[in-house]
Amino acid sequence: MLLLEVKNLDIDYKTQEGTLKAISDVSFTLRQGESVGFVGESGCGKTTLAKSIMKLLPKNGSISKGEIIFKGEDLVKKSKEEIRRIRHLKIAMVSQSAMNSLNPVYTVGDQIIEGILAHTNMSKKEAAKRAEEVFSIIGLEGKRLKSYPHQMSGGMKQRAIIAMALSLNPDLIIADEPTTALDVVVQDRILREILSIQKQMNSSMIFITHDISVVSEICDTIIVMYGGKIMEKASTKIFFKKPLHPYSLGLKNAFPSILDIGEELISIPGTPPNLMKNLSGCRFVERCPFRTTLCQSEMPVLREAGEDHLVACHYIDKHEAFTEAAELRETWEAVRSRIIQEKEEGA
Amino acid sequence: MLGFIMKRIFTMVIMILLVSTMIFFLFRTMPGDPTAFIVDPSIPKEARDQLLERYGLNDSLWKQYTIFLKDLVRLDFGNSFFYGRPVTVIIKDLIPATLILMFTAMLFAYIIGILGGAWMAWKRGTKLESFGITISLIFRSAPSFWVGLMMILIFAVRLKWFPGQGMRTSGYTGETFREIFLTLDFLKHLILPSIVAGLYFVATPLLIMRNSMLEVLSEDYIEMAHAKGLKESKILYRHAARNALLPVITAGALFIGSAMGGLVLIEYVFSWPGLGREIQRAVVRHDYPLAQGAFIIIASLVMFMNLVADVLYVILDPRISYK
Repeated sequence: MLLLEVKNLDIDYKTQEGTLKAISDVSFTLRQGESVGFVGESGCGKTTLAKSIMKLLPKNGSISKGEIIFKGEDLVKKSKEEIRRIRHLKIAMVSQSAMNSLNPVYTVGDQIIEGILAHTNMSKKEAAKRAEEVFSIIGLEGKRLKSYPHQMSGGMKQRAIIAMALSLNPDLIIADEPTTALDVVVQDRILREILSIQKQMNSSMIFITHDISVVSEICDTIIVMYGGKIMEKASTKIFFKKPLHPYSLGLKNAFPSILDIGEELISIPGTPPNLMKNLSGCRFVERCPFRTTLCQSEMPVLREAGEDHLVACHYIDKHEAFTEAAELRETWEAVRSRIIQEKEEGA
Repeated sequence: MLGFIMKRIFTMVIMILLVSTMIFFLFRTMPGDPTAFIVDPSIPKEARDQLLERYGLNDSLWKQYTIFLKDLVRLDFGNSFFYGRPVTVIIKDLIPATLILMFTAMLFAYIIGILGGAWMAWKRGTKLESFGITISLIFRSAPSFWVGLMMILIFAVRLKWFPGQGMRTSGYTGETFREIFLTLDFLKHLILPSIVAGLYFVATPLLIMRNSMLEVLSEDYIEMAHAKGLKESKILYRHAARNALLPVITAGALFIGSAMGGLVLIEYVFSWPGLGREIQRAVVRHDYPLAQGAFIIIASLVMFMNLVADVLYVILDPRISYK
């Protein structure tokens, strides 16, 4: 059964210089128990997308088009109070910065209990008991509930935040770069814990990260975003075996494999597009090594490229040649000189 | 914690000694002659000298100073030149009126300032916010004696809602604290001056609270509180205001000092028989002992409130502890 269905979502930010199209025409679905990972560079819209599902967009951001259907009901149309009742109880968030997500003047336990009491009729005692339960699930001692945030380490705080998100057995957990602030060892341990809990509770998860390797470890599905649009969507297994979009190919290059230590990584030259402009062609056109005139004039739609595999590229059929070429440094170097040349011409 | 308080009290004693020294020399370098107010200038020189002798004003400055310090340690501020009564007794009689007025005004200013400041930050960018800032700044910039006079004119003279002068209806005499201060009559007299003083004070807590709130509202734990589905009022007051309060508290303690300055004018306008009005008179009359005593009491009060602020900080912010 579909838990979440996002349809043709557009999100705009009103800025002093004009309107920024942070998300345009994004659609995806999420089944109960499925975990999907959103990857992309900073500013590609992944955090905006996550926040829009909880209606936590900043004041200048708004959903200008589309539907977010959660358990059959459109969240976009819901009132503030209705959204408030859904938050935490049905959709819980594990935020980007665990370090600052706990209020320094209350104990961690109080903050978890407060969340429970806001949505249930539990007594304070029952809520405290529940807090202790989730603490033990996530591997923290019950007495830690009485600690203030500044008395805990970064890893413990992150665990406490996860425990908080789990406290009401939400249907959907949105984790926005939950482990970026932690060192790799703690990060790995916590990721594993998140994964096992999510499977145990059979809740769905949206996992936002710029670290493609994290997605490979814990998500069923991967969605690659670029410039506010979905470039590729596939099951994680298929994606890591056979990415199709030129951007995905570039991304894969940019992450080190443990086998070729010492090799300089191949990066994607250039910068993401300016989303204030009206972009008609493919968002990736400026940095794509394989572009044609068609790419500049027409935005490719997301289409089926195989089982469980959607790609927004005009040239899916040429992917074998692309994959081979993308592994070569020269391919991307050519893009670099092309970008420099275009800049000079423009100036 | 106890050790910290003891240490602070010890430094307070030293500070009070320093402050007293400064006050002592400040008054003696002031132009004018203290005898002029005590005795008729036309009396013979001999009588005048005798008087100066009696008050010890003929002694060398150094000798006067050592006597002053010796007495100070015993908490003896000497006798007022003007009233001829011990300064401690005079101050003891005056200080309740001042403290009551000050704390009522501060309470008024702080309750409105804190709640209003939090609310203004919440309504950031709306007309209501600019309105609030403007009003509070008008009352801060307008001379408090003028606001006082206007209030007297409107509410006491025209509307006759409240009495505009003194702290009790003339003819009423009370002996004990209870008879003087715990009456409806006193309360009625308290209202106007404390509103005027409160309006003068309100800008400080209001604006500090607003700024500090704006800072706190962009913190991640506020977004987290939203994500937890808490009610807006709870986020505003339990999460944001609680954290924003910290700088307001410190500012408040420091503010008492300047508040005393403001009160001098307000007490004067409302003929409020408090310390502020008496200080003004004592200075004009060159009543050294009384002026010195009053200033030292005020300085001690400011220092004491600072200590209170530090202690409050520990209670409000678990991250702070004193060793």
